[in-house]
Amino acid sequence: MTSVTARTEREVTRGRTRRSLVRRETWISAVVLLLPAVVLLLLLRIIPTVTAMAEAVPLGGERSPWSNFAYIFSDPSFLNSVWVTLLFSVIVNPIQIALALALAVLLTKHIPAVGLWRTFILLPIAVPQAVSAIIWLVMLRPDGPLNGLASAIGLPTVPWLTEPGWALISIVIVCSWVGVGYWMTFLVTGIKEIPSSLYEASALDGANGWRQFWSITLPGLRRPLLFVLVADTVSNFLVFAPVRILTQGGPQGGTDLLMHNISERAYTLGDTQAASAATLVLVAIVIVVVTIQFRMLPGKED
Amino acid sequence: MVNQSATRGEARSGRRALLLAVPVAIVSMAPLVWAGISSLRPGEEIFRYLSPFSWRTLFPESVSLDNYLSVLQSPFALALVNSVSVAFFGVALGLVVAALAGYALAVLPFPGRTAVFAFMVVCFLVPFEAIAIPLSASFREMGLANSYAGLILPALGNGLSIFLLRQFFMGIPSSLAEAGRLDGLSWFGVLRRIYLPLSRGPMIGAGLILFVFQWQSFLWPLLIAPAPDVRVAPVAIADFAQETGVDYGQMFAAAILTAAIPLLLLLFFQRHFTGSTASSGTKE
Repeated sequence: MTSVTARTEREVTRGRTRRSLVRRETWISAVVLLLPAVVLLLLLRIIPTVTAMAEAVPLGGERSPWSNFAYIFSDPSFLNSVWVTLLFSVIVNPIQIALALALAVLLTKHIPAVGLWRTFILLPIAVPQAVSAIIWLVMLRPDGPLNGLASAIGLPTVPWLTEPGWALISIVIVCSWVGVGYWMTFLVTGIKEIPSSLYEASALDGANGWRQFWSITLPGLRRPLLFVLVADTVSNFLVFAPVRILTQGGPQGGTDLLMHNISERAYTLGDTQAASAATLVLVAIVIVVVTIQFRMLPGKED
Repeated sequence: MVNQSATRGEARSGRRALLLAVPVAIVSMAPLVWAGISSLRPGEEIFRYLSPFSWRTLFPESVSLDNYLSVLQSPFALALVNSVSVAFFGVALGLVVAALAGYALAVLPFPGRTAVFAFMVVCFLVPFEAIAIPLSASFREMGLANSYAGLILPALGNGLSIFLLRQFFMGIPSSLAEAGRLDGLSWFGVLRRIYLPLSRGPMIGAGLILFVFQWQSFLWPLLIAPAPDVRVAPVAIADFAQETGVDYGQMFAAAILTAAIPLLLLLFFQRHFTGSTASSGTKE
């Protein structure tokens, strides 16, 4: 009797040590496997964010910690840049999302060779933005092909990059040419996941395509549409290459989007403190806008 | 009967949709096609036939590869080599980092797993472009300016590729990992022998994310590596366009070369995205 109990007890203890050994091996493996990613993310994301904050809000000096913000908010070039960025955002996001949605609906119909047309519309995203901007720089020249085409069909030529309003429209066109096909692909995937039985049932009830779009497609696309809305908005707040290559922020500051304004501050003017403060303002604007978007769209009901 | 008429109706609306889809596809391709055509003609000919528009606008008098030959003998060739090598190391090292982290987050039962994952999601929410400028200042202080390491490192901390691989690894039945563990495999052995062989498609997907990030980047290389010997292709092209008396034929040839590499990769790897092999390991 006693010997049997002793033996089971010994086995239980041995099992427990083995289990704790396994748990330790798992723990060590997890640390080793995660270490590179965690170190890199700390080094490349967290530390620079903290550095930017420390630089924008210098503590312990003679100046007020908020002097950098006071400076940029009294600087007409920065205020203009915030205004241009918001204006750009209000124009470009509805255009891109409406176009992406329209194209997604169009390219989920039973079109011959539908994959080919989708690929053609997606291709611009694969081209580096700097290269796209270079191509459009020539397309939009006063003597470029766009104006050549306009005059060939009897339209007036357009001062694309030389007049502030048209220059901003040019940036909108270039960014949309690059982005619309990309955002479209997420919506195409979303539409394909809507059960076709819903459409068949509503067709039997006599609903036309327009009714079906509002009552089936749009509600069914809520999740991918929210993703596209947020991701597209964020990416449009961060536009840099087209501005740098097409207009350098001009004419008369008409296309001076925040990313460009910040990089000019940091590298042409050498004012890294003001640049960091402006970066934080940009991040704050992005967070506020994205939060509003999450609130406005009906959230998680399923 | 009902079914048949529905398909006929669908076919009709499909043909109507085609009338809209083709012009959109043409508009989308036109700038690239025009750049491609322009790269095949002498620089001074590009603007000659633009106003008025004529058939000569689209069909060059003579087609030649001279622009490509001279671009490949210019400093731009080095920029292209730089781009390819930076992208290669970025993808290779980035995949190792992402696969290890994604696997640990998906498969290993350890305390604090949710917290580590939440940390990565937070990092993923800070847009790289927004912190590129402060980050480039610290990279300069660390002596990484104008170096390959300075160009490659930022691509390695890619939260999106980690997230993608974690999602896929979570879909692989955990019974496979348990069986491997009972057979005495270490956690690393489970990754190497069981998870990686099942993950060709997602690894290619994560590789493409890393590649596109690296190949597209313009702001970062402009800040950290503007020197001619480490310059990457997008920066070199932007410099090209800002030269006075630029040869547009050569500039378009450089643009097409830079655009062609991702396009070819996209077309080549496209078929790997379809179909998942995750469920094929068990009979369930």
